[in-house]
Amino acid sequence: MGRHFTHGLISGIALAALLGSATIATPAGAATLRMAWAQDATGLDPQKQTAFSSLRLLELIYEPLVRLDATLQVVPAIADSWEFAADGLTLTFKLNPKAKFSSGVPVTSEDVKASFARILDEATAAATRANFLSISGMDTPDPTTIVFHLSQPDAPILVAMATINAAIVPAAEITAGTIGTKAIGSGPFKLDQWNPNASEALSPNADWAGGKTGVDGITISVLPDETAILASLRAGQTDFALLNDPLVATLVPDEPNLQLNRVPGLAYNVLQLNPSRKPMDNLQVRQAISCAVNRQEIIDTALVGEGKVTGPLTMPAYASDPNTLFCYTQDVEKAKQLMKDAGFADGFSATVIAATGEPPVASSEAQVLQSQLAAIGIKLDIKMMELNVYVDAWLKGDFDMAVAQNGGRPDPYPMYNRYFTKDGNLLKVSNYVDDTLDGLMQEGRKETDPAKRKEIFAKFEAHLAEMSPWVWLSTSYSYTAQLKTVHGFEPSPTGTLYSLSKVTLDN
Amino acid sequence: MNYLTQRLATFPLILLGVSVLVFVSIRLIPGDAITAMLGTEAGLLTPDQRASLAAYFGIDQPIYLQYGRWLVGLFSGDLGISVTYGRPVLAVILERFPLTLELALLSMVIALCVGIPAGVLAATRNEGPADLGIRVLAMLGQSTPSFVVGLVIIFVLSVVFGAVPPMGIFTPIYVNPLVNLSQLIFPAITLGFAFAASVTRISRSAMLDVLSDDYVRTARSKGASARSVIWRHAFPNALIPVVTLSGIEFGYLLGGAVIVEQIFALPGIGRLVLDAISQRDYALVEGCVLFIALNFLIVNLLVDLAYAALDPRIRLGGR
Amino acid sequence: MRILGAIARHPSGRIGAAIIAVYLLAAVLGAFGITPHDPLQQFRIDRLHAPSTTYWMGTDLLGRDATSRLMRGIGQSFVIAFASVAIATAAGTVIGLLAAWWGNLWDGILMRVMDVLLAFPAILLALLIIAIVGPGTFTSVAAIGIVYTPIFARVVRGPALSLKQRDFVDAARTFGSSQTFILTRHLLLNLVAPLTVQVTLALAWALLTEAGLSFLGLGTQPPSPSLGLMLSESRNLMERAPWLMLFPALVIMLGILGFNLTGDALRDILDPRTQGRAA
Repeated sequence: MGRHFTHGLISGIALAALLGSATIATPAGAATLRMAWAQDATGLDPQKQTAFSSLRLLELIYEPLVRLDATLQVVPAIADSWEFAADGLTLTFKLNPKAKFSSGVPVTSEDVKASFARILDEATAAATRANFLSISGMDTPDPTTIVFHLSQPDAPILVAMATINAAIVPAAEITAGTIGTKAIGSGPFKLDQWNPNASEALSPNADWAGGKTGVDGITISVLPDETAILASLRAGQTDFALLNDPLVATLVPDEPNLQLNRVPGLAYNVLQLNPSRKPMDNLQVRQAISCAVNRQEIIDTALVGEGKVTGPLTMPAYASDPNTLFCYTQDVEKAKQLMKDAGFADGFSATVIAATGEPPVASSEAQVLQSQLAAIGIKLDIKMMELNVYVDAWLKGDFDMAVAQNGGRPDPYPMYNRYFTKDGNLLKVSNYVDDTLDGLMQEGRKETDPAKRKEIFAKFEAHLAEMSPWVWLSTSYSYTAQLKTVHGFEPSPTGTLYSLSKVTLDN
Repeated sequence: MNYLTQRLATFPLILLGVSVLVFVSIRLIPGDAITAMLGTEAGLLTPDQRASLAAYFGIDQPIYLQYGRWLVGLFSGDLGISVTYGRPVLAVILERFPLTLELALLSMVIALCVGIPAGVLAATRNEGPADLGIRVLAMLGQSTPSFVVGLVIIFVLSVVFGAVPPMGIFTPIYVNPLVNLSQLIFPAITLGFAFAASVTRISRSAMLDVLSDDYVRTARSKGASARSVIWRHAFPNALIPVVTLSGIEFGYLLGGAVIVEQIFALPGIGRLVLDAISQRDYALVEGCVLFIALNFLIVNLLVDLAYAALDPRIRLGGR
Repeated sequence: MRILGAIARHPSGRIGAAIIAVYLLAAVLGAFGITPHDPLQQFRIDRLHAPSTTYWMGTDLLGRDATSRLMRGIGQSFVIAFASVAIATAAGTVIGLLAAWWGNLWDGILMRVMDVLLAFPAILLALLIIAIVGPGTFTSVAAIGIVYTPIFARVVRGPALSLKQRDFVDAARTFGSSQTFILTRHLLLNLVAPLTVQVTLALAWALLTEAGLSFLGLGTQPPSPSLGLMLSESRNLMERAPWLMLFPALVIMLGILGFNLTGDALRDILDPRTQGRAA
């Protein structure tokens, strides 16, 4: 035994020495940012990709007309300036004359027109098309001016344009049918190599209107296990990484050479009830569930303290204080009374679905919810599903309850119109709408005065929480971890890594 | 030769069975390439948008037509195009395969180098303390889940030694053998851990069988040294079961070590097919499984042939 | 009974049997709820508590007692392992026997089907089955059972073929015994030795496969624990709460050790070639 062990140790040291020399043997290039993430991008068509990693990659390569800064304000990207007409029916953009694609060709209003025409074309199958249906026509009076004509006032359309799903792609590439195979954009970097589910290599776009990038390139490695990402950061072999799992992210601050960047995101953890199924069709039952849940406790245990209690609206500009919302303080007695009034004094059984590892805390969340709801006699069966199987069931509304993490938007209208308006595309998922919700949504869409909008959506939020079709739980953080030799990264609630364009490395 | 052709003749049949099984089962899993690409946003698509995507992914036809088309392609050596990689399936597989092959070989070398001496030692010290120690170690090795070994190795490397193998971007052996080795050695140890344990156990029991045979006793009585009896007379005869076992394990390893590749971020066949399943890249899943099955069949055939070569008493295909 | 006695006299078999006995005891206690704490109760104040006199093996992320969960988990894992191996043994034996007995075309068809399953990468086959049906104890059992069926079919077919040609089967046949009688009585009796060994090996594999499936998120469904699920839940807590990985890993290792030692002993006892030789 003893001898075995020493042998093992010696060979271990020898191997570590070997590793050391191997690392020296391949200098990563002094100013190349070595980045890692667990989930790779799934495609290169900016108008069609919706996966988190795809968006993060494509934001480095493409640009939309406008983008959101770290405080969620709309700021210039390809467009220098913009203006709504007084009647709210036209929206005019002035483009940055210096904007160029990585092929060296300038970005013109024709490219913008072609890009939006492509999004609106059903054959493209762009998921964001739904956000732009109010566009009735486009004019290009000169190469740097684009005018959108709207069929109805649509204040949120500007924010809807501030995503990479509304990226401007070269008109010539659309004609050639090479969007998604050749990634030619006007962003800070260009894609040199993509080996799906393994790695990507990016180099600076010399023609980028924003000037020179701080690094000479970015290599991205896909390390599916986040423990391995942490190990790689610790060993100084990765400069910058995206982390998902709070269990891993919270270990980062303990490391002297590492820094954790933590921003509250717009996405929210929620327990979706299905009001089309008994007994969740009963308002009192839904309210009882909302009252029985202790949101802070879920955060403290399942999320290891990483998150904040939230109502339906997660964007700071619109969010109400959660304590003003219906039953946001756990009240088991009230919950029991509601169950009794609804005729379910003895409780009931239901199945809750959750996706394996998406988010990483889904299973723990479901288990805490299960134990909290047991207090009012609700017996939950947890069904963990592979992500895709889950999405399939979710889209069909085939569940009693679902633990979900849904994406947020900087504006309440595009965030919830799909679920809680009468012609929402995902009504089959929410299975709930009433006149109040629909009315407030339509009002909010037309209103352009920020103060009035805030008032409208506060009413919307309070009503939604009271009707409890879903039980909103918490926002979580989005994490990036970096070596302390990396400077200038500015995290954003949207999760964008755009500021990597300004990042510099020591030595 | 007759035996060889007979065995080879069953290959297409088996592979056909495998292809039908994978073709049907992968399509029975809820969710498709569209939900895999768009996630919950797939719910925003209009029926027309959905149809155009289905046509793009080649999943708009009835399953028997899809299978027919795929089979026709197969006979002309075309396994289809992977929608994730945008390249021919075979090219993607062949790009990933050298890693898996190298990893399997390296694991086997480790397993044999550790397992055979340990097994022989245990056999010659039958029921002594060394034997018991080796057997307990071997059984522990066989019974530790590989992800536990892998996670512990990574943790120890990063915390104790402050260095981990360069992960994610794989360096082929012809580009830089040193980096290549540093990337593969720890996964190989992880896999070799359980593999070595099996080799130890099988060589021990094979040696015990042989050592009790008459001719070994004869050699011993003729005054051959203990060392010569063990290595010259007994060992070659004990090799047969070791070869069989290693061959079969090797065959399994060629199928990709899904979990170890996941932990060490190695882009091998195991992860390729796992990702392909979760991305519903049907053509790629089919191609991978077929490729893995073919490897398995070939390795098994080779094992049987080696078996016959080592032991002339065995008549192949004999009943 | 005679076999149990023989195991008790066998040096390593004794240890193996003792381990299995302890596990069975723990599993039975766990099943009847005789555990230090309720394995599902979340003591949220004491989450990630290190091993102590209250929580012998510590608590997990949600504050559940690891000892109690392990006791329940052993039962769950054993049920999955035994049930799936029982399915594989039964199905494999029947298929192997029928293939050998009917011969010719049937032999060809049955064994090619087995070859197809065998050539299909095992973990992927289990993964596909579970993804289609949806995870759960029953699915895990079925999936692992199907994966190991061809191995048993092969193990049985070979000896069955050679036995079929042996005199005593011919004799039985001429004396007019019914086919079923011949099959069950003579063939099965002679297959006990190779099957027993295979079964103990397969039990160990089944435990590992269940752990692997749980690692990929397709094993036992929470909150009820299995050894594999406990291990995979602990993966990202390894640094914070090493006991959460240590104890389930030790329990799996010792359990498999128990199966293997017993299996080796059974082989020594049942295999006529090795009779009289201590292993």
